[in-house]
Amino acid sequence: MSALADAVVAALEPAGASASDGFGPVTVDVPTHRWVEGLEAAYAAGAVFFDLLTAYDLGDHGFAVMAHLAAGDLRDHVLLRTTVPRDDAALATATGVYRGAAWHERETHEMFGIGFTGHERLEPLLLPAGFGVAPLRKDVVLAARAARPWPGEKDPSDSGGRARRRTLPPGVPADWPEARP
Amino acid sequence: MTAGARPPRTRGVIALVEESCTVCMLCVRECPDWCIEIDSHTETLPPDDDHRRPRTQAVLDRFAIDFGLCMYCGICVEVCPFDALHWSPVAEYAATSPDGLVHERDRLASWEATVPAPAPLDPRGVVDDPGPRRAAGRLASGS
Amino acid sequence: MSRTPVRLPTPEVGPRADRGPIRLDLTWADRSFTLWMVDVGLACCSVEVMAAALASDASRSAGALVRGADGGRTDVLVVSGTCTDVLAPALRRLWERLPEPRRVVSFGACSATGGPYWDSYSVTKGIDSVIPVDVYVPGCPPRPEALLQGLSLLEPGSA
Repeated sequence: MSALADAVVAALEPAGASASDGFGPVTVDVPTHRWVEGLEAAYAAGAVFFDLLTAYDLGDHGFAVMAHLAAGDLRDHVLLRTTVPRDDAALATATGVYRGAAWHERETHEMFGIGFTGHERLEPLLLPAGFGVAPLRKDVVLAARAARPWPGEKDPSDSGGRARRRTLPPGVPADWPEARP
Repeated sequence: MTAGARPPRTRGVIALVEESCTVCMLCVRECPDWCIEIDSHTETLPPDDDHRRPRTQAVLDRFAIDFGLCMYCGICVEVCPFDALHWSPVAEYAATSPDGLVHERDRLASWEATVPAPAPLDPRGVVDDPGPRRAAGRLASGS
Repeated sequence: MSRTPVRLPTPEVGPRADRGPIRLDLTWADRSFTLWMVDVGLACCSVEVMAAALASDASRSAGALVRGADGGRTDVLVVSGTCTDVLAPALRRLWERLPEPRRVVSFGACSATGGPYWDSYSVTKGIDSVIPVDVYVPGCPPRPEALLQGLSLLEPGSA
């Protein structure tokens, strides 16, 4: 277990923050409205090293936003995680606690479309102007994979014709509108 | 460093042993980059002394690897159930056009001559023997 | 808890006499030639280009890379690494600034076709959609010897 994780859980009691030990750092699930409080508790417990902040698309459940923090000597680390709804995805900014989160929040905003209230400068960072979509959302499909004919589609027993059972390459959803018949 | 002096299992270019290929298409499907393309057709062989029924056999027409896309992961070499693909340490085959990086059957087969013999799993080729002193020490400490 | 202020380094800008193209003295298949190379090192492939440059005859005898002046004679532009759509205009502007004769070598899979990232939303699928390419060196990354062989394919007598 992690002293940092314990400190965050203790600071947020009794709001239902929980710690779980999967692969990697101990994960503490923080209620969304207490996100900054959780970060400050970690900082006060010694998590002075801000590693990264990113998000993960949970589909209907919204997005999970995660911040990876570590103690100054890097001997202890913790992953703080919260969930934001899919519609009107917004979270308080972490830049009040960790200045370095500014870059990460800009990137997460650009890639997932999550707003960070209180961020000084939530402008596009990596994508060209007018890109239009948040590309790391799961409902944004890699169009190149759907458009290009997959060499593995051919079935040798079909003598040059299409395979009887249509096999899709990995990464192309079955209901993609432009997938070839 | 010349090709022969490179470490064993150096991934330079992929050679094809055509006789071993059964057109199972596993390499094509498993390639993460989609850089292998295979065309084939089936032929029906009539019964003969060894086979009482007609058999269908897949015949390879085209086997191409686009080395402009290839990331040398080796999945195709590993997944081939018939060992038709092998690594060769030759790395010098630059071209003046992207088409020059697509190697067809004949060129893939020509790399076969450069494939080295398989390296022994242990480069020293001996069984790891701890020796009597170390073995005794382990027994004495109870570990 | 007090916050320690972070002191950021101040970058040096402006041309310098020792920041220009790298001189390569190469011997390949009984041919010896000298090329001044600028490497656009975008990703992992640039490490192999560095290795090739350090193995060149000039650096072996001098003990260090021989660099020309900023803006000096450039024979070949080596693009090593992944070019993204955001970066492509800058690559184009760099190529346009080079005086003729100029040659371009695409080093590695990413600059040739987009490589493992050909399906990405942000990667240029081959720098030849942005600038003309003379030699494509395959590999991920290619060996340093592959760069030398690729350079040997450039037309001799290119100035």
